[in-house]
Amino acid sequence: MNTDRRRINAPSGGTSAPVFARTVKEPGYLQSLRPTRTRGPNELRKIFLQTSLVPSASGSAYLEIPTSTNTPTGKTLIPPTSSLKITASIQGPKPLPRSAPFSPSLLLTTTVKFAPFATRHRRGYIRDSVERDLGVHVETALRGVIIGERWPKSGVEVVITVVEGDEDAWWGDASGGGSGNGDGGGWGLLNVLAGCITVASAAIADAGIDCVDMVSGGVAAIIKTPNGKDLVKILDPCPAEHQNIVAACAVGYLAGRDEITELWMKGDVGADPEELIEGATHAAVGSLSVMKEVILEGVEAKFKDQLSVNNDGLKRKQQDVEMSG
Amino acid sequence: MASTQPPAALSFPRPIFAAVSPHPFLHAHLTTAPPSKPSHALRANGRTAHDFRTPSIHTGSLTHSNGSAVVRLGNTSVVCGVRAEILKEEDVSGTAEYADAEQQRDGDDADGDDMEELDSLRLLVPNVELSTGSTPQHIPGSAPSAFAQTLVTRLRALLLSTRLVRAADLRILHAPLDTAEQDSDGAAQNQLKAYWTLYIDTFFISLDGNAFDAAWLAILAALQDTLLPRAFWDDDLEMVLCSDVPGEARRLQLRGLPVASTFAVFEGADKGADAGGDAEQQGPGSWVLSDPDAFEESVCSESVCVVVDCGTAAKGKGKGKGAVVRRMEKNGGGVVGREEMKGLVKRAVERWGVVEAVLGGNA
Repeated sequence: MNTDRRRINAPSGGTSAPVFARTVKEPGYLQSLRPTRTRGPNELRKIFLQTSLVPSASGSAYLEIPTSTNTPTGKTLIPPTSSLKITASIQGPKPLPRSAPFSPSLLLTTTVKFAPFATRHRRGYIRDSVERDLGVHVETALRGVIIGERWPKSGVEVVITVVEGDEDAWWGDASGGGSGNGDGGGWGLLNVLAGCITVASAAIADAGIDCVDMVSGGVAAIIKTPNGKDLVKILDPCPAEHQNIVAACAVGYLAGRDEITELWMKGDVGADPEELIEGATHAAVGSLSVMKEVILEGVEAKFKDQLSVNNDGLKRKQQDVEMSG
Repeated sequence: MASTQPPAALSFPRPIFAAVSPHPFLHAHLTTAPPSKPSHALRANGRTAHDFRTPSIHTGSLTHSNGSAVVRLGNTSVVCGVRAEILKEEDVSGTAEYADAEQQRDGDDADGDDMEELDSLRLLVPNVELSTGSTPQHIPGSAPSAFAQTLVTRLRALLLSTRLVRAADLRILHAPLDTAEQDSDGAAQNQLKAYWTLYIDTFFISLDGNAFDAAWLAILAALQDTLLPRAFWDDDLEMVLCSDVPGEARRLQLRGLPVASTFAVFEGADKGADAGGDAEQQGPGSWVLSDPDAFEESVCSESVCVVVDCGTAAKGKGKGKGAVVRRMEKNGGGVVGREEMKGLVKRAVERWGVVEAVLGGNA
């Protein structure tokens, strides 16, 4: 019996997600809920980014990419396509424990965890292979950016929580096929990865860890148009909106140096993979512009605080708490 | 070397003083009140000893949850999602007695001891996650800490002991159309086909003290927000189906509105050193701080948690505005006695009003 003694467990009989009657009994009904892309092929979804939301962490950020499709709410209880909501927080740099072997540069540990309510199928608390895989990808993207030599013998924790993730495909296709857990395409993961890279990068900038440049994530995909057989390249695909994704690619891109630190490609790319990668870097530049603005705002706010402290610092001097000893 | 000025006393900026000697730091704050009004002493976070942080609540922001809430309590922020899944009747044993009991009660929904049903079938599955970088003490990669385990156990105990969720709301019944059976029995015999199981997952985005109050408030708000679709047994498919029409869905009928208030007891400087000066002015030399933040929790060992419900649903036998104490926990010291506890309950009742207004404005 595989129970977790440190948590509250579900009933041992197991539970199942509710099945909605109309999706079973009216075949046409399901298709009427299918979302479609309303943006142009090169248009990104709106990005909301905020930094410094965890005071006890040295840096933190929250990223939200709301769904662009306006699914009719209030008409059905079946959850619409989800938006992307990710938080990242940085703990450290901190000195390594005495028992740890010497390290000449900063030790980076990246953890990605999905919340149980992040996806259509409930996730567990123990990290699964998908989450570990994502963690390694994000770590690769960040490792190339941080100037680790400035922190010998220290470690930093990058903790990323996916509060709500993009879906791998439209849920109707997954449940119709009977596979239950999506068809294993994993297209949504690329979006999650790009989001994780962007939010972690913003959090690192917020923590003030020295970097060569700011890394940002972007995704591009090649889809089959629903009517013809043409292949079209789109930026920032929302997998739920496209039935036939042929290939997709996520990058971690340094715009200032024109470098790629992380590349994840899936599917049948065809003869020209470079076009797809270029598309992904364009998407990354789009999220970078948002990130820059937000970080600039954050820095300005910080300096304003410091300035006001310095201004009335002279008056404050006397009010400093005194401790004689 | 011949300095004309006398050597200045050792002086630190605030954050360093707080980090180097946290206890004297807080003590210095609490003792620098104007002598006329000792209760107006400010804590390090700028609140008085009796001030709670005002919560802010957003509900319904998670797509894949039946009910969800984001609660901010100062710098503590919590996300709670309630997800309902179906537990089939054949997967549990010994539900027959519950079904029978249900029919005997039939309509008597105000009371009824369904706690055992919820408990033994584990229909409520609360869990918390602290290792989200919310605080430096909880780094992911390790098993849930003792603190996290205690927290979730306390939350579950409170969920069950307040009997907040009705088992009747979670039962999925089926009235067979078989007329022959109906005639012999006289009334329609409702069959218990399945249960809703509520997964109550609470994620801490940021933790700055008072995890219990914040988590409980998030759970409360998320349960209030929870919308269960109408579920029915389908004879053809022999499974439970749900209707996706929002009009047919129903909210949970929660019993009352228990609100938790946590207090931390800060004991003044060592009795030996300060007994002469302080004892006369400050009386006992200890402060009961409402809604402690992380810094205060680190210097206080005694804590008290009072859960009160002043709602109309709580049929109080007491006189004071119908307030009912639903739970009381105290550990770590002996400062709070019977008299002090009365004062704390009064403070918790005041807190209830504030929280109720925030929850009410949200619903």
